[in-house]
Amino acid sequence: MNTITASDLIRLFEAWKTLFAEEREFLISLDGKVGDSDLGITMSKSFAAAAEAVTAEGEAAGIAKLLRTAGATMARTAPSTMGTLTATGFLRASKALETADGIGTAEAAKFWTAFRDGVAERGKAKVGDKTLLDVLDPIARSLEEAAASGKSLGEALALATTAAEDALEATKSLVAQHGKAAAFQEKTVGLQDAGATVGVFIIRAMRDFAA
Amino acid sequence: MKKFLNDPVNFVNEMLEGIYRAHPEVTYVADDKRCMVAANRKPGKVGIATGGGSGHLPLFLGYVGDGMLDGVAVGGVFQSPSAEQMYQVTKAIDQGAGVLYIYGNYTGDIINFDMAAELADLDGIQVKQVVGNDDVASSVVGEEHKRRGVAGIFFVYKAAGAAAAEGASLDEVTRLADKARLRTRTMGVALSSCVVPEIGHATFSIGEDEMEIGMGIHGEPGISRKKLAPADAVVDEMMDRIFAEQDYKSGDEVAVLINGLGGTPLEELYILFRRVSLLLEERGVKTRHVWIGEFATSMEMAGASISILHLDAELDRLIGAAGNTPFFKHIPA
Repeated sequence: MNTITASDLIRLFEAWKTLFAEEREFLISLDGKVGDSDLGITMSKSFAAAAEAVTAEGEAAGIAKLLRTAGATMARTAPSTMGTLTATGFLRASKALETADGIGTAEAAKFWTAFRDGVAERGKAKVGDKTLLDVLDPIARSLEEAAASGKSLGEALALATTAAEDALEATKSLVAQHGKAAAFQEKTVGLQDAGATVGVFIIRAMRDFAA
Repeated sequence: MKKFLNDPVNFVNEMLEGIYRAHPEVTYVADDKRCMVAANRKPGKVGIATGGGSGHLPLFLGYVGDGMLDGVAVGGVFQSPSAEQMYQVTKAIDQGAGVLYIYGNYTGDIINFDMAAELADLDGIQVKQVVGNDDVASSVVGEEHKRRGVAGIFFVYKAAGAAAAEGASLDEVTRLADKARLRTRTMGVALSSCVVPEIGHATFSIGEDEMEIGMGIHGEPGISRKKLAPADAVVDEMMDRIFAEQDYKSGDEVAVLINGLGGTPLEELYILFRRVSLLLEERGVKTRHVWIGEFATSMEMAGASISILHLDAELDRLIGAAGNTPFFKHIPA
């Protein structure tokens, strides 16, 4: 598809919900190595609540309102750090797409740029700190380039997903600077960051959805 | 551990139930006892909200009332409340003039208050924030943004609360709260550990004859641990650090808060104040307002903190204004 419409967006949230339900145990064990094991629970709960809320809202609400509902719902259901960061991402994406009727390549670039900036501001992290931001930044950059060179949405999301996967692999060599993982310092080297893994899951499902 | 408990899991909620039964002037919203608001709210007044973990009474919820705060969200012992709880409090206390958040500089609280402000903004509620960082011991000069918020936040509440009660705008209340924040310094000293009910044992161990200068109100490490010295010597060391931070001249005026951390008798707090007062007198600094007692505790921790607010004319007026809350009552002389 070349554009994700409001009704598509509702189905995309369903896809994210299914994905995080399937990956719940994987994320729990990944986070358990250097965190407090609640990531799988946080993500499955918050995407399930968001999917339910956007379905209830309906496509007539439009893209921005649906994203806002999703973000606000996540903020309420999962008050952990990752839940709050993801919620912020969706709320900022909502603001960036205030007037959009659908999500094409240009809107996807705005969506992820706003998502990245919101997470960076809220989490007070920098690229290279071994966080979710390490994959959001390449996603946003890749989509901005794709928008500038007029790539189709499917192609743009495929490139962004590859950039995110490479960036996730690269987090293995980094030392955690934030959250509970920061206390483990050198022990985090060799492990992929759990938050960044969530970022890859989100963009991958979006790619598959638009393919 | 020797505590009055039923099930430790219910520690916070049972404490709250006691407070609501004792103080009908406060109530709660969103069907959540952890979202406390003043029962009476004045139309058009700037709302002031705070929040943070339980285990510090009278901080935070003890200061909801006339001339102070309008709402507070509290979390579990030493845990941040959620963004949703802060947002519910914000919605309830907004009277159309906006809401000021005043809370301590802790990561969990910051992330949740920021999120609540974002949710409030979507509803068209204007929110400003002042983040308390009065604890001198928690970081050096030049890195004040890393300092923790401790008992001195009381002065920020008092200044902001009085300004809002006078009818000041959100910008003006924020300016005055920030001024009080910038002119307040606190130094603490711990003699024994706190015990978190659900954990059931001391957070840290400290020798019978030891003290830790600069310890945080959740047991965060301080500057130095050493043999307990006579009270005057302890005060001298604490006040040296406070004096070093601000330029105090003869004729300047201050407000003083001597705060017990939960396990120190009031008598000892007066022994500390005696020395604080003498040191101020030696410098020709006039003590305009004094409060001595428990204002920000750490469960049963023995120890105390000294907070000094370097006054100017407008802060003097606000700090001296009337206040009436469940845990703090002040009638101007």
